[in-house]
Amino acid sequence: MKRYLYVFLFFMLLFFFSLEAQSSTKGKTDFPDKPIKIIVYTGPGGLIDVTSRKFAEVASRYTDATFVVENKPGAGGIVALKKVLKLPADGYTLYACTKSNISKFVETGGESYIDAMDWLALLMMDPECVITNKKNTIHTWDSILENAKKSQEKQIWLGPATGGLDHVTAMKIWDTYGIDEKWVPYSSGGKAVAALLGKQGVAYVGNPREILGNDDLMIAAVCSSERLPQFPNVPTFAELGGEGLETEVMWRGFAIKKGVPEEILAWYKDLFEKVTHDQSWRDIWEKGGVQVVYYGSDKFTQVVRNDERDFQYYLKKIDIVKSGESDFLTKLSSGTNLLILLCALAAMLIGLILLLIRLHKKEIVAQVIIIYFFLSLSILFYIISFSFPDVGEVGPSIVPRLWIFALIPLNIYLLIRTLRNKDHIEKQKGNVNQVLFFIAFLAVYLIAIIFLGYFISTFAFLFLGMYILGYKKIWKMLLISAIWIFISYLLFYRLLYVPLPAGQLIELIF
Amino acid sequence: MDIISNLLNGFSSIAGITPLLLIMVGVALGIMAGAMPGLSPSMGVALLVPFTYTMSPTYALILLVSIYIAANYGGSITAVTINAPGTPASVVTSFDGYPLTQQGKAGIGLGVSLVSSTIGGFIGTLMLIFFSASLAKIALNFHPAEYFALAIFGLTTVASLGGKNWVKAFIAAMFGLLLNMIGIDPISGVSRFTFGSPELYDGFALIPVLIGLFALSEIFFQLEKGDFKIKAASSIKSQWPSIRDYWKLRFTILRSSILGTIIGIFPGAGATIASFISYDVTKRISKHPETFGKGAPEGVSAAESANSSSVGGALVPLLTLGIPGSATTAVLIGALMIHDLVPGPRLFVNNPEIVYGLFASLLIANVVLLVFGLFGSKLWIKVTAIPKNILFPMIFAISVVGSFAVRYSFFDVISCFAFGVFGWILKRNNYPVAPIILGLVLGNIAETNFRRAVMMGGYDIFFTRPASLILLFIAAISFVIPFIRHKKTKINSSEKIS
Repeated sequence: MKRYLYVFLFFMLLFFFSLEAQSSTKGKTDFPDKPIKIIVYTGPGGLIDVTSRKFAEVASRYTDATFVVENKPGAGGIVALKKVLKLPADGYTLYACTKSNISKFVETGGESYIDAMDWLALLMMDPECVITNKKNTIHTWDSILENAKKSQEKQIWLGPATGGLDHVTAMKIWDTYGIDEKWVPYSSGGKAVAALLGKQGVAYVGNPREILGNDDLMIAAVCSSERLPQFPNVPTFAELGGEGLETEVMWRGFAIKKGVPEEILAWYKDLFEKVTHDQSWRDIWEKGGVQVVYYGSDKFTQVVRNDERDFQYYLKKIDIVKSGESDFLTKLSSGTNLLILLCALAAMLIGLILLLIRLHKKEIVAQVIIIYFFLSLSILFYIISFSFPDVGEVGPSIVPRLWIFALIPLNIYLLIRTLRNKDHIEKQKGNVNQVLFFIAFLAVYLIAIIFLGYFISTFAFLFLGMYILGYKKIWKMLLISAIWIFISYLLFYRLLYVPLPAGQLIELIF
Repeated sequence: MDIISNLLNGFSSIAGITPLLLIMVGVALGIMAGAMPGLSPSMGVALLVPFTYTMSPTYALILLVSIYIAANYGGSITAVTINAPGTPASVVTSFDGYPLTQQGKAGIGLGVSLVSSTIGGFIGTLMLIFFSASLAKIALNFHPAEYFALAIFGLTTVASLGGKNWVKAFIAAMFGLLLNMIGIDPISGVSRFTFGSPELYDGFALIPVLIGLFALSEIFFQLEKGDFKIKAASSIKSQWPSIRDYWKLRFTILRSSILGTIIGIFPGAGATIASFISYDVTKRISKHPETFGKGAPEGVSAAESANSSSVGGALVPLLTLGIPGSATTAVLIGALMIHDLVPGPRLFVNNPEIVYGLFASLLIANVVLLVFGLFGSKLWIKVTAIPKNILFPMIFAISVVGSFAVRYSFFDVISCFAFGVFGWILKRNNYPVAPIILGLVLGNIAETNFRRAVMMGGYDIFFTRPASLILLFIAAISFVIPFIRHKKTKINSSEKIS
């Protein structure tokens, strides 16, 4: 039995290595000789995700290359971009980008990201527009403007995140017409549209496509030099006396890490041209009022630079920088002072523990430490909250402080109860050392993943883990570990494209 | 009777071998996706979207919604058997489901959760079919002030969840809420408590925290007890609920399903709040509230019927308004767009065969789920018979993949393990961990809507809008009642003594 098992394991190892060898050691032939990854910065189902998947589908008609879409959501595109920048500039990784990325980069001080990328192809431009609810009394552009100028109260405009593309467009529109209204952001455009349908605001800033499917919605005005062929009744801002808003578009395209060889860039250029001329590609997007184009590297970079400047200007404008008063707490919340505070809190903790032991209250040490943890977390967060800029009427610090103000009294109440020994805890008879040993073992496992990768480390971990916990049938342990490795490899790594860590040491060797 | 004839057309449009096969495949895959910690229903649906390109839109939707409802149920399997809720919505299922398993009655937990799930899903779908227009109106008129009030109402369930430990339960909830503040502020775009680390820009991902606090902390807890060498062999011959047991739950299921559907329609609120609130309500109404949390079948039933019926609710805003009511329906919108369909009221007029085909397949999928689940339960109850010294290392290995797969980030793996250790420390000191999850889920809804409401109408808006005032009033009452009851029983018992 054992012998068969070793033979089985041997062949499985062979199988893995042959798979890996196939994908890594092939000699340099024509581009592309392996799948091209498109990294998408939203989850599946987002518009840029749909765009990328459609692109992959259309492109497959013109090339044998396979495209694999990989979603890497987080931080408005920065997580995805970091991933792209980590990979080699061999042309096998495309970054699906939109104008929102630029606003995110500017917002988080990541302008260097713009320089690190080659803005390869701008493929579509989706004009920005103001969408209204027909059931609202104010729904044409003229009535919005009239109301804005007459009314004392600010109008409520709805849309996605503050400082994002749609918000900046709204501010530009307000500037153009000399008005200043209130922006109420929602977690997604869809939810803002719902609020518009519920008459919670006057206008929504988005793209023409978003009115399709709902007859109550209409476009009040669109940012475009000419009327859109798909929406011939919708006036442009230029017709309504608003010059200079023609270029307000949401663009989508692809970028690639700088340093890709010329011949690969030429290959992409050819492909983008073919896809742009594909009728089915045009049909899908043009129906929703999107302009299908192909801007190459030079023109695209120009667009990106312009957007960067715009965002820098407007983001500064809304970011009400904290006024001169730098009180004690604001000073505390900055860099090194925070570190000193942390050290002080830690020192107090040690003092507290020693005191409790001195007072022969050893049995409540754990309870007090937890309370102390929650209290110091509250204090720390409270102090940090003073470093947030006061944006708008209800700033970013209000709600965290609300929870903190609830957390502190609750903990003090509990502390008093504990010190009076009113908080009884059934001590369970157990072996804490065993748990601590296992936690240490787990920590080793996690570190091993970083260096040796998921598969090798997990195989070892499963085997040793079962052994430590008292399971002694060696061949069964090997079999179980091997089966899990096999399943996780096929299911997650191969089928679902979950890029489980390969391990830094392993990557160095291969 | 337009709806009936349309629905019949819907049934005829999906009559055939292929659709039935798709439903079966979808249900099977969905159960697996839900049961795997780390694969949420939305990820299960998302992973399958690329495979639906080449299908007709109706077939694509059939497959995706089958996965959706089955994944919602699948989360309860691991919640009951190993205290590892596969989805945030099945956290509540574990309150009573896992104690049942510990008592060797895993069969009761699995049976009740399956039947409640499918009946709940069925009721939710029926409400979707017949009342979608009026439900959509409610959803539209829900102001941010009311969303905030609903979130606060959800939070007050902590008062009764915590029982004697209410202080610790509230501390845990507030900790969850505070944890939720980490990341980029959704309203102003300012980054908060991130300490400059980009991994924290979007805060802690829910799934790794969930796996850590529930599954891993439970393992540490049992390691400490040291009883992992004993095989829970008795549970293989576990008893299953009888028809009479199910009949006893009829009102619980009906009430929770209606509640679940209604709460499900509010975009963002969804399944998790629905299950917490309906569990709370069921516990309050129950004649034996003390059995809750110790293996009450009503608890499992309330949670599961509410979170399954919320699927029907979440589809209301998707189909009638074109607005996603949950993470999963957001993915469904993408799938519709790939097939050149625009969700919204016009879909009912332009493509009724798709809408009613979808309704019909939801109904059928629930029946298929019931059949698969009945056979499957016999299989996955065997999980409880795996020796713990094999099971525990396996759960750790799966947790690594599960928490990594959420954002492909190793940071999440580390935070999963850190929360596992933290959860173990909290549990040893009688802190319940479920309120942390509730806080994490509700934090965003509470905060953003609070601030939106104030931006729109100042601080007094919560009291000038009748709906929000009523909701806050209910919340206040449900907060206070447990304390009054507690006092009363104290007085009663002291009177008896004297």
